[in-house]
Amino acid sequence: MPFHENQLEVDGFEIRYWKSGQGRPVVMLDPTGWRETVLHDALAEQYQVFSLELPGTGDSPANTVSESIGDLGSTVAKAAASITSEKYTLVGTSFGASVALWQTLRSPEQVEALILVSPMSIKPQHVPVATNAVAAHRVLFAHEENSTNNSPLSQATYDKESELSQRLRVGVHDVEAEGRLGDIHCPTLAIFGQEDHFVTPEAPRVYREKIPNCNIALVYDAGHCIIGDRPEALVNAIIDYAEHWETFIIGRQAGLINP
Amino acid sequence: MKASMFAGMGYSQRATFPSIWPVSPVHADPETSVQSYREGMDECELAEEMGFDWLSFSEHHYSGRIATGTPSVMASAVAERCKKIKIALLGHLLPLNNPVRVAEELALLDNLSNGRLVAGFLRGTPNEDQVYTVNPAEGRGRLLEGMDLILKALTEPEPFSWEGRYYQFRTVAVWPRLVQQPLPQVVVGTRSDDTVRYAAEHRLGLGVSFLPVEETAKITDKYRVWCEEAGWIPGPDDIVYRGSIYVAETDKLANEWFEGLTRSRPGPNIPMRRTVAEAIEAARTGNVFDLRGVVAGSPEGDVVGNSLGINFLGGPDTVAKQIKEFHDRCGVGVIDMPFQQNKVDHKAVLEEIELFGKEVIPQISEFK
Repeated sequence: MPFHENQLEVDGFEIRYWKSGQGRPVVMLDPTGWRETVLHDALAEQYQVFSLELPGTGDSPANTVSESIGDLGSTVAKAAASITSEKYTLVGTSFGASVALWQTLRSPEQVEALILVSPMSIKPQHVPVATNAVAAHRVLFAHEENSTNNSPLSQATYDKESELSQRLRVGVHDVEAEGRLGDIHCPTLAIFGQEDHFVTPEAPRVYREKIPNCNIALVYDAGHCIIGDRPEALVNAIIDYAEHWETFIIGRQAGLINP
Repeated sequence: MKASMFAGMGYSQRATFPSIWPVSPVHADPETSVQSYREGMDECELAEEMGFDWLSFSEHHYSGRIATGTPSVMASAVAERCKKIKIALLGHLLPLNNPVRVAEELALLDNLSNGRLVAGFLRGTPNEDQVYTVNPAEGRGRLLEGMDLILKALTEPEPFSWEGRYYQFRTVAVWPRLVQQPLPQVVVGTRSDDTVRYAAEHRLGLGVSFLPVEETAKITDKYRVWCEEAGWIPGPDDIVYRGSIYVAETDKLANEWFEGLTRSRPGPNIPMRRTVAEAIEAARTGNVFDLRGVVAGSPEGDVVGNSLGINFLGGPDTVAKQIKEFHDRCGVGVIDMPFQQNKVDHKAVLEEIELFGKEVIPQISEFK
């Protein structure tokens, strides 16, 4: 399903976004390079999908304005409000999940359901600093062969995003966000790759413990970039959750073999 | 070094079974079955009394030779009779089972035994692939994923969903929690490199079964290297060897028993129709199976299986020396033995357990 590029202006940023599909709105905050995936196509089959480019990532200019991930969350909430007047399902991945968390905290009235894919805000784990874009790309995957199926960032984009990440303290435990997890009252799914070395093994349970309506999904044999390692599993979990929220735990697959 | 008795709980008339697997249930007389399990539990009690460290139970199906299709049920009953000895489930056949159910059984057994559980994970012999109609080609993948899921289910204090390749569970929240925190000893029974490496990387024990000492050493050597690469050194209990045994008062008596067994020409171990055996092997290895080629080329007959060998045979001193080879050469710290051999009745099994306890355990416990 084709996605069409659009642009809007918020807080002085020119924000690009891509739109496809019909139905209830889904807003996606994706890391650079993970925007045209089977997940986007699958969601656009059932929903009206808006995939936003976070200011300072991808081809956008360097973001020297946002002073915190919370600031960025507020900016993105304004952007989302300008492209849809309805409540939406918010899907954030990696850095996008950190922003989505704050977007939900700052603008809870907008978010119908929250899906955090590989979130790093809570109990991140120290990962050796990659010296270049290629090395940084490799550590995202559980299997090297999966890293070759996805292109790394250009060195210039990597440098730009690294500067933003360091300034916004991405990858550092967000004490304030953790303290406010109890304020998130929409249905929430946090998805982690079992081989994700960017967070500690204890990280998933914090979301479950502190967000009142939160499910945790662990994707077997996947690293930080779940869409690269186990795309079918990620799509399956997110499509089910977007449709059924916390009732996605109910088995709906037919078991009858020979009627 | 520690001694473990593999509690096969065999049907007492197992020597009369036809040479085929599965063994038809028609051969199981309920009264004899009940008596056989009682005798098996008596053997367990005696093993505990004689100083064995572990009793082990293993999942095997459709045969009275090792009559524990649901080993945790058997282990639970024995755990009530034997109050101090370790209860080792060596183990569940993971490709056949719901891993969450396995985790629940392990957690319950650790509670019922008050922290005496040792857990083991196995793929199973090829015949077992037929039991619940699991595709043999998926066995390795199911084993690896199943182990990950069970370990997570046993250690994760919050409910979670599992999005696997072979398993999808949207709510996993195993009760009760283990008595032994964070985990009881876990042994991975395998000969395959990928699973040996898994055990090493996850700091789990290794179990090897029925191979000669040099072949066992090739596996344990790799395991120890991979453990070192993973940053740890396995302890004495981490390498378990399961080997068949017949111990008698003297070497001469033991050899006479074995010669008698050989003369009686027992059928092969786990005998299956050649077509079925080769079809499973082909599926496991990803090879093409030619049904008509197998039928046309079966000069040995329709039924095939492994020969019945004995790993440890002799008087107490000889058996102790044979076990020492595994200790010295392979680093084995726990020796797990089924005393219920073919054509060894309950009375003789009890005599062997007593003899082993009095004459062999004092020797092998000195192996450090």
